[in-house]
Amino acid sequence: MNGTLAVARYTLLELSRRKLLLVFFVIGVLGIAAIGIALKLVPTNMSFGGGPPGTPQPDPAVVSRFLELQFVRTLIGVVGFFALLIAFAIGMTAIYHDLESGAAVAIFSKPVSRLAFTAGKVIGAFIAMVVVVGLLGLEARLLMTLFGGGLEGAMWVETVAAVANASLLMLIVLALSTWMNNIIAAVVAFIYNFAASIVVGLHAQVVNAGVIGDNPIVKTVLTILYWLVPHPLMSDASKQIAKAQFEMFPPTMGPGGQVPGPGAPTTDQMLAGVPGGSGIEDILWWAFGIAFMAALVYIAVRRKQV
Amino acid sequence: MAAVVSVEGLRKRYRFRDPWAVNYVSFELQPGQAFGLLGPNGSGKTSVVKMIAGLLRPDEGKISLFGEPPGNPKARANLGFAPEDPDFPKFLRAGEVLDYFASLLGLDEGERKRRIPETLAFAGLDKERRQVRQYSKGMKQRLGIAQAILGRPKLLILDEPTADLDPLGRRDVRALIESLKASGVAVLLNSHLLSEVELVCDTVAILGKGRVLKEGTMAEVVPEGKTLEDVFVELINEAFPQKRDNLPTFITDVENK
Repeated sequence: MNGTLAVARYTLLELSRRKLLLVFFVIGVLGIAAIGIALKLVPTNMSFGGGPPGTPQPDPAVVSRFLELQFVRTLIGVVGFFALLIAFAIGMTAIYHDLESGAAVAIFSKPVSRLAFTAGKVIGAFIAMVVVVGLLGLEARLLMTLFGGGLEGAMWVETVAAVANASLLMLIVLALSTWMNNIIAAVVAFIYNFAASIVVGLHAQVVNAGVIGDNPIVKTVLTILYWLVPHPLMSDASKQIAKAQFEMFPPTMGPGGQVPGPGAPTTDQMLAGVPGGSGIEDILWWAFGIAFMAALVYIAVRRKQV
Repeated sequence: MAAVVSVEGLRKRYRFRDPWAVNYVSFELQPGQAFGLLGPNGSGKTSVVKMIAGLLRPDEGKISLFGEPPGNPKARANLGFAPEDPDFPKFLRAGEVLDYFASLLGLDEGERKRRIPETLAFAGLDKERRQVRQYSKGMKQRLGIAQAILGRPKLLILDEPTADLDPLGRRDVRALIESLKASGVAVLLNSHLLSEVELVCDTVAILGKGRVLKEGTMAEVVPEGKTLEDVFVELINEAFPQKRDNLPTFITDVENK
């Protein structure tokens, strides 16, 4: 236990002094502030409507609500994006540099088990992630307090979800960087994460909404793939935002006021394709993913000869 | 008296098709004994000590460290290991590195407060405020020795401990080894500096291509009128005869001058 705590403590201290993490954090803080402020200032200086005489003018209240929802959606997306960057920054360095520099030679000759070392590294990395992403989430929440937008409660859930998703990605990078160069590990993890997000998106469209088609083979393949990749955890905010937007701009009133043709997806179908709040099975799948990846990190560290 | 470390029929190779880096090496080390492990580059000295420290897994053979396999963390509680070309978490300072390692050794706060400043002073790093990444090789080597003695080990393994040290640092390491030996600590010394080994070690083993070519007390290995270096060179030349005057022709060619 002492070994685990010592490793965690000094991993945190090291991470706090790493320039890469600091740079990502500063970019995150500035990026969230810039995007938040820009999304609020730019629309207020823009005029809506226009077009040829006789074109129906949008209701200013509807436009304002639409912009607020866009503001919230963007903030949620930006926090999630920076959480992933932080996951890469921590995952690429937390264990790799000890193994690569030779520091592990001195550490592993001490009376500390590889399990205690791995646990300490994972705990230290996780705490660093919670602190950094938590601060970014707090900043986004403050912007929402300043500028409104609704769905304030969802921001905390989204921040927790961002930490959870990024933790899983961080563990993948940690495990891979024990086997291979940390940059290659990050690239492999990025490709895997990207492929997983495509599978999850397609699953929502095809299996949940039946938007793209109704082929049972495609559905089965997608369902199998879906349960082979991590499911990003999320709040219900995306669905609420989509629902509000459909209420403001119903599909029966397209951009030109035209009525959609037969066979076009209904509002319910389109809403079913928007990922909703994560359910218990997603949380359990995430927990299994975390346990599995943590075990992989341990096996990789245990097998490592330094 | 129970051996501090016992190595029996040790074999190791890094890849299946590679030659054996360590090939049937056996020896024992008693408390208070200083054992010199010698050999040319690539003879397997570092592989042997890394297996004793639990950092590498042997393919064959048996290692007993204080009666336990070295993979058991308890067995390493009384081990101090100063690796060749040591490195440490880059963003920590010397005092933090020692505090980190003291925590891994399970030293309580009182002991840490007593030992760390003294150890830093011994290593000449007590006034150093920079992070490890800014250290010279010599400073890292001194920190490597400092962390190795921090736990007051019963077995101290020094892998090329003086390679990057200045003459004063070398003298300090010699004095350290003598002092530890006198207090019953076993020392396993890997070094190319044969004169140093001759000064401090009671027993030596000379390795060549992973095998023990000669082993015994200093008196057994080095006959009257010869030095350890003479014996070493003769032994290696006999075991692995090769052309030694293979200087590049652009150096030896008179017309190029």
